Amino acid sequence: MASSSSSLPSPSSSSSSSSSKKLVLRSSDEKHFEVDEAVALQSEMIKQMVEDGFGGDVIPLLNVSSNILSKVIDYCKKHVDFDSKKKMDDRRRWDAEYIDVGVDELYHLIMAANYRNIKGLLDLTCQKVADTIKGKKPKQIRIIFNIKNDVTPEGEQKIRKEHSWAFE
Amino acid sequence: MSFRSIVRDVRDSIGSLSRRSFDVRFTGHHRGKSQSSVHELHDEPVIQHSCWASLPPELLRDVIKRLEASETTWPSRKHVVACAAVCKSWREMCKEIVKSPEFSGKLTFPVSLKQPGPRDGTIQCFIKRDKSNLTYHLFLCLSPALLVENGKFLLSAKRNRRTTCTEYVISMDADNISRSSNTYIGKLRSNFLGTKFIIYDNQPPYNCAHVSPPGRTSRRFYSKKVSPKVPSGSYNIAQITYELNVLGTRGPRRMHCTMHSIPASALDAGGTVPGQPELLPRSLEDSFGSISFSKSIDHSVEFSSSRFSDIAGPRDDDEEGKERPLILRNKAPRWHEQLQCWCLNFRGRVTVASVKNFQLIAATQPAAGAPTPSQPAPPEHDKIILQFGKVGKDMFTMDYRYPLSAFQAFAICLSSFDTKLACE
Repeated sequence: MASSSSSLPSPSSSSSSSSSKKLVLRSSDEKHFEVDEAVALQSEMIKQMVEDGFGGDVIPLLNVSSNILSKVIDYCKKHVDFDSKKKMDDRRRWDAEYIDVGVDELYHLIMAANYRNIKGLLDLTCQKVADTIKGKKPKQIRIIFNIKNDVTPEGEQKIRKEHSWAFE
Repeated sequence: MSFRSIVRDVRDSIGSLSRRSFDVRFTGHHRGKSQSSVHELHDEPVIQHSCWASLPPELLRDVIKRLEASETTWPSRKHVVACAAVCKSWREMCKEIVKSPEFSGKLTFPVSLKQPGPRDGTIQCFIKRDKSNLTYHLFLCLSPALLVENGKFLLSAKRNRRTTCTEYVISMDADNISRSSNTYIGKLRSNFLGTKFIIYDNQPPYNCAHVSPPGRTSRRFYSKKVSPKVPSGSYNIAQITYELNVLGTRGPRRMHCTMHSIPASALDAGGTVPGQPELLPRSLEDSFGSISFSKSIDHSVEFSSSRFSDIAGPRDDDEEGKERPLILRNKAPRWHEQLQCWCLNFRGRVTVASVKNFQLIAATQPAAGAPTPSQPAPPEHDKIILQFGKVGKDMFTMDYRYPLSAFQAFAICLSSFDTKLACE
């Protein structure tokens, strides 16, 4: 799906027709992605850009790398399909499989979903993080997400007290 | 000029700007042109190792809200507590999202044991008594069943008989119940006859100005808390009195609770229990524990003791003195002719007759600002604020609601356990 920049049609030539209109997205590592407008418009941010008249140009997504962008586009494409069919079970199954990724990728997906403002994907990614946290001890959570414990010793004492009460 | 050289120029001229702002400028220059030449600018991967620690707050909030919303009941509620122990930012977010029991009806962090119960409905608990070692354990009911063995442990108490009084030490730890432990949160102390009890909180109530009536007793307690051995203070927050029974040994008791830390106005429309810990900057340190400007315990003790004697004293008389404390009394049982006993309607929550059973309601007092006799009392005044009663051998239920906290309710119930020489 990621095409090299040289083989891309010039953006101006693809901006005329409305039904099969394509938009070109550019990832942070300079890969170009040509997608149906309906797919791109799953992103509120892109929708806004198109409304503001930037739809004819290449839309730069400065914070999103090509592998994450292609994954995000997968999501948007699939959900354009789902929206027309309304099969909730299929959607749930597909979402569960789709979001079964490592925490690094999950981070970039959540950031991309937030940056591009794709509500469905944001819900999915945030829920995945919440589900990952669930049932874990603070130490495990820190290891999984590579978070440094920056609580002061006094705070730590309070937390221990809280913890032993909660896990009594 | 070639594109590459434009880029170089731009790069040179803004050398010290951040990558991000550079990107923004750069985008404007080359829109729609070939990009292969600029790869050198993006040689650095964006991935940082601790990216999750700097997750934008709105995303962290979304995540924790989802966790909080899904783990509503104990024991899974503990996952919210675990989440609050990960790091500072997560902790602050958890504390922000978790609402106090007054509004959520849920107990989450131990701090909620000293916050008012729900305004809508009650929090249902049970107390298990262990006569062999004189301990009492308070649990949150996890099911509507009356005689259950499992519940979420909330508080424990141990009865100590002294020469002149009986003392119940109240702790957050199920096993280690002592004043010297850092899980100590307060105590209940009786007079010699077991007719009068005082509830002491180890933390100052935040409306502390009128908590302590002036006098020798209070002074003794305040000087006590400066001692470095005592982890925190001893604040008289309520008094419970059992009246001599005119009906002899078998009749119902009459009890009065004067809640010094709760103004009577808390039950008025729009009334609140003042100074909830999380609303005050001083206790930010208390609830977050991790904020860098936190003070040592000794400091806060000094602070509160000086506040008591110097600052709060005069204010007490001027402004806060007008605020009357909330007074609770037990609902009078009625005599049931057929059953030949005194009855109260506990709505199925109490099954065994006992002199210890009681229901507390607000005592309506005629005073300035109170509704005139023609007006009906606001509905808050009719509600049973605390009910306690026997359901089995050494098993009791305790249901409480706003404006009492679990700690206060538990202490009041403990007083009912104590033998009353003069009352029975």
